[in-house]
Amino acid sequence: MINMQPYENPEYFLWLSLALLPIIIGLLKGKRWRIYETIVSFAFLFLIFDANKFVQGLALIGYVAFEMCLMFAYFKYRQKRNDTWVFVIAVLLAIFPLVIVKITPVFEHGAASIIGFLGISYLTFKIVGIIMETRDGMIKSLDFLKVLHFILFFPTISSGPIDRYRRFIKDYDTVPSVEKYVNMLGKSVHYIFLGFLYKFILAYYFGSVLLPQVSALALAHGGISWYLVEYMYVYSMDLFFDFAGYSLFAVGTSYAMGIETPMNFNLPFISKNIKDFWNRWHMTLSFWFRDYIYMRLVFFLMKKKLVKNKVNLANLGYLTLFLIMGFWHGVTWYYIVYGLFHACAIIICDVWLRFKKKHRDKIPSNRFTKIFAIFLTFNLVCFSFLIFSGFLNTLFFMKH
Amino acid sequence: MKDTVLNILVDLTGSDEVKKDLDVNLFETGLLDSMGTVQLLLELESECGVDAPVSEFERSEWDTPNKIIAKVEAMTNEL
Amino acid sequence: MSFKKKLWLIFGPVIVAILILLVFLVSPFKLNVNKKILPGASISQSVDVFKGTAIKKAALEKNYVAFMGSSELSRIDPLHPSVLARKYHRSYRPFLLGAAGSQSLSHYWAMQGINRQLKNKKAVFIISPQWFVKKGIDPQAFAYYYSNLQVITWLKTADKSEMDIYAAKRLLQMKNLHSDSIIEDAVERIASGKTLTDIQKTYVDLKYNELSHEDQLFSVLHVNTRTSIIKRQMKQLPDTYNYSKLDKLAYDLGKKNTTNNPFEVDNVFWKKRLKGAYKNLQNEQSDFNYVSSPEYADFQLVLNQFAKNNTNVLFVIPPINKSWAKYTGLSMKMIATFDKKIKYQLKQQGFTNIVDMSKDGSEHYFMQDTIHLGWRGWLKLDKYVDPFLTKKQKTPKFKINNYFYSKNWQNLHGNSLNKVVD
Repeated sequence: MINMQPYENPEYFLWLSLALLPIIIGLLKGKRWRIYETIVSFAFLFLIFDANKFVQGLALIGYVAFEMCLMFAYFKYRQKRNDTWVFVIAVLLAIFPLVIVKITPVFEHGAASIIGFLGISYLTFKIVGIIMETRDGMIKSLDFLKVLHFILFFPTISSGPIDRYRRFIKDYDTVPSVEKYVNMLGKSVHYIFLGFLYKFILAYYFGSVLLPQVSALALAHGGISWYLVEYMYVYSMDLFFDFAGYSLFAVGTSYAMGIETPMNFNLPFISKNIKDFWNRWHMTLSFWFRDYIYMRLVFFLMKKKLVKNKVNLANLGYLTLFLIMGFWHGVTWYYIVYGLFHACAIIICDVWLRFKKKHRDKIPSNRFTKIFAIFLTFNLVCFSFLIFSGFLNTLFFMKH
Repeated sequence: MKDTVLNILVDLTGSDEVKKDLDVNLFETGLLDSMGTVQLLLELESECGVDAPVSEFERSEWDTPNKIIAKVEAMTNEL
Repeated sequence: MSFKKKLWLIFGPVIVAILILLVFLVSPFKLNVNKKILPGASISQSVDVFKGTAIKKAALEKNYVAFMGSSELSRIDPLHPSVLARKYHRSYRPFLLGAAGSQSLSHYWAMQGINRQLKNKKAVFIISPQWFVKKGIDPQAFAYYYSNLQVITWLKTADKSEMDIYAAKRLLQMKNLHSDSIIEDAVERIASGKTLTDIQKTYVDLKYNELSHEDQLFSVLHVNTRTSIIKRQMKQLPDTYNYSKLDKLAYDLGKKNTTNNPFEVDNVFWKKRLKGAYKNLQNEQSDFNYVSSPEYADFQLVLNQFAKNNTNVLFVIPPINKSWAKYTGLSMKMIATFDKKIKYQLKQQGFTNIVDMSKDGSEHYFMQDTIHLGWRGWLKLDKYVDPFLTKKQKTPKFKINNYFYSKNWQNLHGNSLNKVVD
């Protein structure tokens, strides 16, 4: 049976463009053929999860059934009452399958959980977002088919970008004007071709050509070596171009369907500090964490006056955010250290920014300092990716 | 109402700039960050009596003093 | 701007790009490989070079000779064949094919793109006894060295011969190799003794153009990582070739580099690979057996292909470090049986150029470590390689016997083996 993973090869793009053609023609005529869109979505989902991925497909169906019941039960409850404990339980239940999937490899010697499937993390983010906004009373109506369409939106199902329900539905409910849609089509084509450059040329070169070579050299040398430094930069480039390329495909495909899925990357390697970096790197994830974890935690702690000192409060927020992000990547020491590393970097960055604000007149700011800031941030980030890669684990703790 | 909001912003950003330029982008200039935003929401709640949950907060709709004033006015009118 | 014009501006370039790509991929022209990359590629042992064909073809059409083997090829000391050939300006240059994990079956598939270049030529093939384990090649290692280009090239000429049928069957035993179901179906047809359908033939031809253009294009990306090592090793050699002087040098180098262990194993290898584990390895290998293995039939594929190409091959059976073998309990009697069996398979079919070093394992500094040739071992091999490649050889007469594909031969051991072989 045919199985197609999202954006994996030219064949996928061929089928994708054929499937999108009627949608594009429709939108150019000012019409959105929602039933056809649903059929296309379903067909592409089916092709991801059929054949030897069948078990994952079953897991997906089970997961979606469970989460749909949860969301609608909570929505119904929220129309009448608003107890905090019910909200907490709803969120815990929503992340429960993801937690199981993340923890299973730790206890099963690296084996994947059978309830896992491609994209479970991203679906969970969207669902938790819906529950939180329901709690805040911002989501006033919940339509069964629309929710389903939102969480299973096929261009972004495997790795985001993470959209928000209210934003998505606003696009889905309307048809863009022809002028606007032609502009979107232009962007769509631009994004997809930029994605080709990123994913199939640059990421291929860094990831499939250079990376195996520097990795072999670093392992053969052992310990700390210049090869390890090379590995760090090569891996960072591969990570960026691979993920950014993928995200461009997802956004480009969405645009062709008249949905303005938010961008995921905005030139992250020219960030002037770590804070700036997180506003440019994997943006939909970091904004999700900012809006749904950091701000809510800080809001809660401040309102209840649990932590008085503002600096401590902010730092506590950062540590919580990045630790959760670390665990979300996977329960291994290097993901958690990666999270802590970024939390510390941001805390130090804040100290510096406060210092700079106070002594603005004494600290020089010119072209050189700006370039130096970018250089420093870039190297810090690459070092954090070296931790993230798990290569240090292979190098130091595994026999090879 | 306008003055109350501006005073809160001066307080939070530690700068008079928000009074001088009502269209300054608070996030791009670094005057306000997530922490400041949360404080802003809490201050607005206690000083102006508007209850704005975090979900309400969409950065592009709250990024200049003028936009914030307009938002708050709209919300007090709803009361 | 009218909205139709805008659409043209958006999709026009896309359509043009697709058309150019189609023309590029399916038209049968050839991109030449830059000859400057050949010296680096010949010693890179890169898996991409191994899986591709463009670079190998370009090299073998010049004065490069295929040196096929596995991990021993990466032991580059001053006496390594690639270093000696360059230092003493030999008429040939080795082109190293294979690295850790590349066994007979991988070599058979890697030969598919270069059969024409091997025709009536010479080659060197190092047979590792360690390949001949009970289960044969590990499917994961096989997948690592396998490419769609190999199978597509093979499908162009595959017929109902025993060799092709056996190769197809082996391929089908390695699971999940192809994401391409048309290729999988085509291999299945060959395995069941049929020829390809017309549609499959057309597909194979188009796919071949696509993949070989891809391969030619990506040869540009080949990164040279090892030339500096070769140059460094060359500096240690005397300017004129003198066997006994070189032997002395090899002896001294071996002595200098094997000081931290009692097995005359290279210091670095010892420190990284054995020091931690060697205590647990005592007598660990006493039940190792290289006499019954599917590898014998895989090896037959290689022989059959060589015979078909009329390639004159120097086969090398390397030794095993004797003191290490004694420590791990590896049976030398079993190794002698392996030796007898593999030589029978070779000689019976007319492959008579064999360098049997299996009894040299106790020579000092012959091995760089446990099972890999080094210093004096490389030098002794050179004594056979140099004349074989530089002097005219008798034209070999091959007579392939399909019996060597059979399960019976793969598993033949003990007395029944003795009866056949002696």
